Amino acid sequence: MRTQRQPALRTTGLRKAFGDHVAVDDVGLTVPAGSFYGLVGPNGAGKTTTLAMAVGLLRPDAGRAEIFGVDVWRSGVEAKSLVGVLPDGNAMPERLTGREVLTYLGLLRGLPPGVVAERAAELLSVLELDSAERALVIEYSTGMRKKIGLAVALLHAPRLLVLDEPFEAVDPVSAATIRTILRRFVTGGGSVIISSHVMALVEQLCDHVAVISGGRVAAAGPLAEVRGGGSLEEAFIELVGARAEVREGLAWLTS
Amino acid sequence: MAHVMIRMRLAVLRHSMRGDRATTLVSGVLVGLLLAVGTIVVAVLWPELLPLTLAGWLTGWIFGPVLSGGGDESLRPEYFAMIPATPRRRAAALLAGAFAGPAPAVTFAALLSLPVHGWRFGPLGLLAGVFAAVLTLVTLVVVSRVVVALLALFVRSRAAAAAAGLVMGSALALCGNGWAPAVALGAGGSLSAGGGPSWVDGLLKALPSGWGVAAVESSWPVALGILAANGAAVALLLSAWAALLSRRVTSVARGGVPARRGRPRPFPLVGGARAVAAKELRAWWRDLVRIQLLSIALSYALVFPLLLVTLDVWIMVPFTGLIAAVMAAGASANMYGTDGTALWLTLMTPGAERADVRGRQLAWLLVVGPPAVLLSLVGTAVSGQGWAWPWVLGLLPAVLGGAAGLIVLVAVTSLVPGTDPHKRGGNPLSTGADEGAETGLMWLMLVAVPATALPVAGAILLQPWAGLPVGLAGGALSAWGLGRLAHLKLASAGPELLNLMKHGPAPTPTRYQGRLATSDLPFKHRAAVTFCYSVAWLPLFPQGLVPMAFKIIGVRDPVWFLALHLPEVWQWPTIAFMIALGLLLYGYAVMIPLRLNSAS
Repeated sequence: MRTQRQPALRTTGLRKAFGDHVAVDDVGLTVPAGSFYGLVGPNGAGKTTTLAMAVGLLRPDAGRAEIFGVDVWRSGVEAKSLVGVLPDGNAMPERLTGREVLTYLGLLRGLPPGVVAERAAELLSVLELDSAERALVIEYSTGMRKKIGLAVALLHAPRLLVLDEPFEAVDPVSAATIRTILRRFVTGGGSVIISSHVMALVEQLCDHVAVISGGRVAAAGPLAEVRGGGSLEEAFIELVGARAEVREGLAWLTS
Repeated sequence: MAHVMIRMRLAVLRHSMRGDRATTLVSGVLVGLLLAVGTIVVAVLWPELLPLTLAGWLTGWIFGPVLSGGGDESLRPEYFAMIPATPRRRAAALLAGAFAGPAPAVTFAALLSLPVHGWRFGPLGLLAGVFAAVLTLVTLVVVSRVVVALLALFVRSRAAAAAAGLVMGSALALCGNGWAPAVALGAGGSLSAGGGPSWVDGLLKALPSGWGVAAVESSWPVALGILAANGAAVALLLSAWAALLSRRVTSVARGGVPARRGRPRPFPLVGGARAVAAKELRAWWRDLVRIQLLSIALSYALVFPLLLVTLDVWIMVPFTGLIAAVMAAGASANMYGTDGTALWLTLMTPGAERADVRGRQLAWLLVVGPPAVLLSLVGTAVSGQGWAWPWVLGLLPAVLGGAAGLIVLVAVTSLVPGTDPHKRGGNPLSTGADEGAETGLMWLMLVAVPATALPVAGAILLQPWAGLPVGLAGGALSAWGLGRLAHLKLASAGPELLNLMKHGPAPTPTRYQGRLATSDLPFKHRAAVTFCYSVAWLPLFPQGLVPMAFKIIGVRDPVWFLALHLPEVWQWPTIAFMIALGLLLYGYAVMIPLRLNSAS
């Protein structure tokens, strides 16, 4: 039953093991509707795996994921029409130009041709991809790939955006544009969940945050609650545990 | 530096000795050793055939990497671009790394035929044989690397890709039917009887694979000269390779995209399967590897029957289009694997699985259908084989429909994961997939596609013109039914396929059903299945169907077909036995995964 009161995304008891390695263990997250949610954690903490299971790209060993109350793994078609996704590092239809990718995916989703053409043009120009009109996606730089991925996620005007490292490798000007787009999206009633390593960025953008470490949720809730009195970075290091040996090692570098 | 490369390559090999790769590797080595023993037997029993046999190994080293995805890329030259050493030194080290693997070891076993052959000429011959074996091995490996590097660097336009495909397709056809023009030119009977006309012999010894034999058979000063010349040739090739490598690592990897002019035509405003077909057609037109594979399929189909025409045998010409369709299906078998993780978009678009499968089928038919139909009509008309019309018109729709169904079904049920297109190195030919497994898929298509047309053949035998309706109905049914199975599988196991491409085969069997056929099998069954795929063609085609065709057409030359060397009474039973054996092996390879899968 989807109502505005349902959380935009709720996962309960998500678990995934690759062989003997448990990547995600009993992860429960609640992303309130209308929130800007940050997911932070060290490398290999299980952020990408969690997000992939939450949107239906990786089948969990156990647990559930719901988007606005719709079960992702039971009513996939309905859930997928509500969400726009930017996964980290996946391939695209590599031999299409940016405009062709957007046109193709819009048509495949059944949007009217006029709407597709209009939205594709606007997304390309806002994200400054229209200057590379002739380049195929396979020839794009890493930052351009992020931007076309974001355009794909926005194309069908979803109610929830799930973005894995959306600012990685993106130049500062484009990053500012993306921040503006996402803020406007949330102001307009949309919900966003992003994963990131950059604490300052999460602090600046998000109103809710979850810290994942070693495949488990170390802390989650409104930003002010999680960071307490200090900065998010301090809270993060405290939760995840700092490593001191760097201060002593690598002596040969300075000798 | 060289020993570091060798150790790195061995480490990569050790880590890939898991799951499917281990199986393919083990079965590959077994088949290779079998062939190596065969080569040594040739050196003992029929020494005059040794240059021809070694030419076969040269062909393998040249065409193997090209057809199965660009050769081994576990040590990419890009990794070492920043190591401060001259290009030549880097190339030499990479070449040393290239020897640390099963293929050179197996080839060296085969090259031991040279000292074996040399033993006939005394201790000096033996010594020359040992040196020649080492030098020939180096030559084969370096020739293979240079050919792949040349293709990777110079196949940068559609015309170049088509031309390269034409050369390779023709060469492959020559490997199969090259005896025909040789017989026509008067070499008839010579290859099997021994000591044929000197030009054939001379040609085979002039190939890099034949230098060793020439050295062994010469007096020692000449032998020394030949070996020295061989060494010089290796040095020359190595320099060429070094130059090609430094061009590769300093030029932009363009991902096998041809140069373009102007804006692309606007994307057609259609939905569903037709939108996917439009995307796929653009991929066919903008991917040099696809263009090259298609060109190989078409040129093989064209040249293979035409070689028989040199003997005034026109029987194969009407079937040119059918051969083209089957070959093109073989080249398209790993469709989802080569696209990599782009599958996520299909999975995230509600209900797009069906459109994706149907669109790919439609695009394949639009690309392969018209040339196959054209070749069939023109071939049958030109050949003057009137009896062939019902066969061609009945089989063609059945084969095209069967292929359109099988390419998508095999692509989702036996997906071979590779490297994502945007993460591949400077070798656009390489998909990073397990070459053995990819080649296995190709063989599977070459057998399975004709099998879908068997009912039509039965109908034609009963009533010639019943073939056309049966063929049309059968083709439509195969394309629809197998395509339906494919999109149902894609919808139910899509995330598992995506995960397979992202992370490779699971380290331990997962508990989900509907996962990949072969990777879930116990090791010994997997080894058996791969072994069957690798050897089944041998009894079925060269020892079964080809001698059968020979007997029907009335060619007397027994070449290397066992049946034709036997007394007349035993010839047909032997042919039947060989065909049955081949079918049995293929049947086993196909059935075992299905049975074990449904039992689990």
